[in-house]
Amino acid sequence: MIWQLGSGFADEARLAATWRSAMPFPHLVIDDFVPESELTALLGILEEEAIEHYQGDIFSFEASTPEPATEALRALRDSFGSTFAPVLSRVTGKPVTRADMRAYAYRAGHFLLPHSDHQKGVGRQLAYAYYAPSPEPPEDGALELFRCVLEDGEVVLTESARVIEARPNRIAIFDVSDVSLHQVREVLTGLRISLAGWFYA
Amino acid sequence: MNARTTYASSAMPAVTIPTAVGSKIATELRTRFLDTGYARYALLDRGSYDHLDSPPIPDLVPIFEGVSSEVTGRTLTVVSARVLRLLPGDYLLVRHDRVHDDRPVELVLDLSPMSVPDAEVHWRHRGQVFFTMPSKPGTMTLVERGPTVMSNHTYITKRWTGTAVVRLVVLLHAQT
Repeated sequence: MIWQLGSGFADEARLAATWRSAMPFPHLVIDDFVPESELTALLGILEEEAIEHYQGDIFSFEASTPEPATEALRALRDSFGSTFAPVLSRVTGKPVTRADMRAYAYRAGHFLLPHSDHQKGVGRQLAYAYYAPSPEPPEDGALELFRCVLEDGEVVLTESARVIEARPNRIAIFDVSDVSLHQVREVLTGLRISLAGWFYA
Repeated sequence: MNARTTYASSAMPAVTIPTAVGSKIATELRTRFLDTGYARYALLDRGSYDHLDSPPIPDLVPIFEGVSSEVTGRTLTVVSARVLRLLPGDYLLVRHDRVHDDRPVELVLDLSPMSVPDAEVHWRHRGQVFFTMPSKPGTMTLVERGPTVMSNHTYITKRWTGTAVVRLVVLLHAQT
């Protein structure tokens, strides 16, 4: 079983307090997320999943298709959702039932510029990014969170508030709202491997 | 095929004129703009760049009007101009652009001191890129800004330190 509720989830009250007090918007960072004994199996699934290059004005990266191509990644996605949705619903106060999942490879020069993930009617409640061990550890590629001030629904101020290093076997989970501005900083060298997606109501 | 023919031959009129300006003039203009002073734009969900609005270019206005009228076959007048300076990590997103419904012509002059890999201007029709201005100092691009056209300035990599992209962006309207 790759996904397990490890010691990081033992104290839900403390996690909930951490979630609520996190700045600039609610988030959690949990290290040693996958048991050491399961990492080889996880990397094996990622190796089998085909990826292709995607490019737009705010992003350049390689990723798997939105619906996983292999049965193994579909199963990994489904078990991820069923394992963590219940506890994250309690911790965050946002009822979530399932997750989607894509595999990402950010190589040198790849990036994802500031955006909020929030899209009306799509139902994204929580975002997550799990950083897998890499054969070529990346230089940068960190997750950066921004403080964002709105006036009449318009962003009038953005400023960097927290940088979360893409450390191997770490997961970052964060709130999705119209102020959850974040980016993946450009990878300068190496390879950043991640699984990422959203939890839905 | 000359610039006017190229411009007119597309359903989405656009053309790039190579070596429109030499390095000596580009250097003089960059110095002029630097002396005037840039301001920083940093609403990061839209863009990150230095800008100089209403740059001192009275000597260039008649040249731009002449060139753009010659290329487009329309009588055009400069209505606005600004200088964009993009440093490593900078960008302007599509959502930061605005739609024009009166078909102005956008003229972009690359005044950068050097070519920067992947530093491009993209013009999009209904979201899809239909014209690209490469990073090539001295080039000039003219694009008709129809009501479905928007643009973005691509991300400038941090892997090349000390780079700067300088673009003079001029909007020209038809005389009425």
